[in-house]
Formats: sequence, C-alpha cells, structure tokens
Amino acid sequence: MAKIVIIDDDPDILDASSLVLHAKGYEVVTATNPEEGYKVVKDVNPDLIILDVMMNEPDDGFFLAQKFRKDKITIPILMLSSVSKTVGMSFGISELVPVDDFVEKPISPALLVEKVEYLLQLRKER
Amino acid sequence: MISLVPSWAVYYDEFWGAIGRRNSWFIKLRYGAVAMLFVFIVSSEFLLGIRFTSTQLLALTIITCMILVYNGILQSIRIYLKCDPNKFNPLHFSLVQMILDLTALMLLVYFTGGIETPLSMLFVFHMIIGSLILPGTVIYTIAVSVIVIFVGIVFGEYINLLPHHAVVGLLPTPLYQNFKFIMAYSTVIGFVMFMSVVLANKIANQLYRIEQELVESLEQLNASEIEKQKYVMSVVHEIKTPLAALHSYLDIILQGFLGPVNEKVLSKLQRIRARSAEAILLTNDVLKISKLRLLDEITKEEIEIRDIFRTVLLKQRANIEKKKVKVHIKDNRKERTKILGDSFLLEIAFSNLISNALKYTEDEGLVEITLDEKENGVQIEICDNGVGIPGKDLVNIFNDFYRASNIRSKGYEGTGMGLSVIKHVIEKHGGTVSVQSPSRLALTNRPGTSFIIFLPT
Repeated sequence: MAKIVIIDDDPDILDASSLVLHAKGYEVVTATNPEEGYKVVKDVNPDLIILDVMMNEPDDGFFLAQKFRKDKITIPILMLSSVSKTVGMSFGISELVPVDDFVEKPISPALLVEKVEYLLQLRKER
Repeated sequence: MISLVPSWAVYYDEFWGAIGRRNSWFIKLRYGAVAMLFVFIVSSEFLLGIRFTSTQLLALTIITCMILVYNGILQSIRIYLKCDPNKFNPLHFSLVQMILDLTALMLLVYFTGGIETPLSMLFVFHMIIGSLILPGTVIYTIAVSVIVIFVGIVFGEYINLLPHHAVVGLLPTPLYQNFKFIMAYSTVIGFVMFMSVVLANKIANQLYRIEQELVESLEQLNASEIEKQKYVMSVVHEIKTPLAALHSYLDIILQGFLGPVNEKVLSKLQRIRARSAEAILLTNDVLKISKLRLLDEITKEEIEIRDIFRTVLLKQRANIEKKKVKVHIKDNRKERTKILGDSFLLEIAFSNLISNALKYTEDEGLVEITLDEKENGVQIEICDNGVGIPGKDLVNIFNDFYRASNIRSKGYEGTGMGLSVIKHVIEKHGGTVSVQSPSRLALTNRPGTSFIIFLPT
C-alpha cells in the first residue's frame, strides 16, 4: 500500500489526517516541523507528501516544497493551508509554489481521501 | 538653472498640480487682460473723455499685441512642461510669465503717464500673485527691481531725461514735475508692494506647510490602518487554526472512522459541526475583508462583464439546479464595452450577490441579471423574487456583520459579511452599489430584492 508523509505543526491535524488515511489502508508517517519532515521524506521515500504552509514561520511550508524540488524529489505534494484562496493568494498549480494541489483547511475526510487517491493515481501514470 | 522648488515640494504631486493649474489660470486671465486693453484703447475717448497721442496709441497697441503673442506662445509651451525640479519646469515657467507681465505693465505705465497713471496700482496685484508661487528671495528681488525701475522712470521724467507721455484729459494739472507728490507716491507704492510681498509670501508658505502636514498625517493614518488589518488577519488566523483541527475530528467521528456513535450524541455533534462551520465561514470572511483592505491598488485588466457572470453561474450551477431557480441574463447593451477591473475581486463580489439571490429565493423562484449601457460605464442589475429585505434594514445592509431581521428570524445561515465585501470591491473599482426591496419581480409574499451596480469603463 502507498506510503504518505504528513508534515504539519498541529498535532491534532496530524492525528486526524492519519486516522482517516490509516482507515483507508495507507501507511502514514508524520513530522511536526520542516527539518524533521525533510529527513523523514528522505528516509521513507513516500508516494505522497501532505504539507502545511505555516509551521514555525508563516511560509516555511513553501520553502520546504521548493527545497524538495531543488533536490530533485518529485514526489507529489498536497499542500494544506488555512489561508490560501480566501485571502486572494490564488496559486496556480506548480506556478509559484511547486506543489501538485493546494487545499484550504479544514479539509473533510472525503475530500482528503479523494485528493490523495487522485494524486497517487497521477504518480502511477507518470 | 536656479532651483525655485522648495525642498519639501520636490516629490509632492499636489504642489506641482497647484502650480500647473495656476499657470493655466494665468494664461486665461491674460487673454481677458488683452481684451480689456483693446476695449480701453478704443473706447477711452468716448467713455472717459481722455485722449491718447499717436505715439501713445501706437505704443499701447504694440504692447497689447505683444501680450497676445507671448500669451499664445506660453500656452503652446505649457503642455510640454515636465515637473522635473532640475530642468525647466512649471515654476520656471511661472517666473518667465511674471517677468514678461511686469515688463509689459511697466511699459503700459510709462506710456500712460508714469507717476500720473492709476495703472501702477496693478503692480501690487502682480506682486501678490508672484508671492504665492515663487520662493521668497526671488519675489523680493523682483519687487525691489520693480520699485527701482518705477522710481527710475518717474525721476527720469522729473529731470527730463525721459519724455513724459501724459494722458490728455485725465488730470487737471500735471504731477510728474511735482517733487513732493513723486516722493510721497513712490514711498507709498513701494511700501505697499513690499509689504504685500512679505505678507502674501509668509501666508502662502504657512499654507503649504499645513497642507504638507495634512498629507503626512493622512499617510500615517493609512499606515496604521494597514497595521490594524495585518493584526486582525494574524489574530483571525490564530483562531482559525484550532477551529480547523476541531472540525477535522468532528468529521472523523461523524463519518464513523471511530466506530458507531449513539443517535442522541450524533445529533448534538452535528449541531456542533454546523456551529463550528459557521465560525470558520466567519473567519474566512474576516480574512477576505482584511486582505481586501490591505490591497490598496487593485489590478486593472480589461474585462467583459458577461464573462465574469458566465464563470460565476458555472460555479453556482449545482446550487441553481438543486433549488430549481430560473436564472436569466438579459444583455441590453449594443456594444460589449469592456471595463477595467480586477476579475478575481469582481468574481468574489458577483458570486456573493448571486449566491445571496439563490439562497434567499424560494424553490422555483426567479433571478434576473440585466446588463445595461450607461454613460461611461455598465449598469448591472441582479433582481430576484425572494424573501426581500425589510425597509428598516435597507440602510444598514452594507455594514460589516449586519444581517437583515427577516433572515435572522427565519434561520438562514450566514455571517453578514457578504454585502460589505461586495460594496468594498465595487467602490475599489470606482463604482456604486445600491439596493431596492421590493424588486420589480415582486409577487405576493415574495417581495424580492434588486441590487443595482454601476461600474465605470
């Protein structure tokens, strides 16, 4: 089954997302900050990364995504944020931030699963 | 090139604007002066009973024509001037005008009798105008030069160095040889001119300084408004984070990821979810508004307003089909004039209006969107036959967090932020929005609401 790394500083979001993805049979590894997240991704080599925008800094999620891409890590990234489109930052996919999808928090379990399945499917087709 | 620009005004657009307007006003005024001079030359004999010699007539006509010609030249140069403090700019242009006018006036004074002519009073008026726009040292130098030249002419005539051109019929006895009168008049006019310059210059400087202080405090006010909005955004974001976590857990429980839940608990959890969803909606709206208020400048691109509606209606399609509301677009415009605006923001605004119309219109209701051509813009009307807005609520409907009494009592969910966002967006585009209820689609028990928006092209 596919492996997913979730990087978010909110332990409850980590727990809730893990619960949903576990229930769907995915293997989930979590990290609570960008440094740990980078290490975990390197170790685990997951099929998908779920990444929060704001952790220690308001935009360190963006920088981590850029770092992954710079280091030739092409694993799909699903980015979660509490701001995003509500405040007018309309990110085109892989335009400013090299991520594959961008979702605003809170994300419902159904939508999370749908996005995850879609991105994993996309990875298989690549 | 002498710098005539006060240091504080170099990058101050208001200052340059004022100078530019004054320059154009001077040019218009000068055409008036030319007309008056011609009338004076032609009719003075009949009206005032005074007579000019042929030399005077020739001189006056030449001076008048000269003013007319240089004014024409000044007018054509004016439009090419750049507000560059280091090059020939509108302020230098004012100085040139001043010197030309004073020369013409000096010649007029000389040819109409020197000390005997009332025209010398006009020097005072010129000095006051000059003091308003030119720096102190420059206008003082001009004032002193004018006084010296005038006194020079008067004394030149007194000692017969210069020929005297008396206006026949103006004075019973000639005054140009009257030493006491010459002294008294020169002293008084010199004093009046100098004091006018000092006072007018002081007052003008004070006014400019106060104006500048006003502009600065306005800027400070704007800066603190921006700070405030940033603060609001960060606070609201902090509130939203735990709400989002709460929401995620609720969803997991409600969707059975943790096993079955007792029916009674489930119904209360559903209420919790509905209320927390409301709170999230509210935080989103506040974030949206704060961001809008931070956006001082909107991006302006050419937009066809119909395209915006097409996008909005496409996004609302599920909603429209669910409620079986009929939505019509009537485009009464002859040409599809484009407007300049921010499509992202306009989409938010119209999407809000349409979803309101759908939300507050009962099943199988009617929503009509009408586009009309107006002078310099487009008028958009969004009209429904829904629940309407009570008359007493109409004045407040665009305020933050305000919700009409009838929709609060009927239990429609919402935060009351939609219309204030719409108003803000439309006003950012230089447009207006107004509301009417009942609308022209009103039915019994369904008064309906109509929003009328004007957007300039």
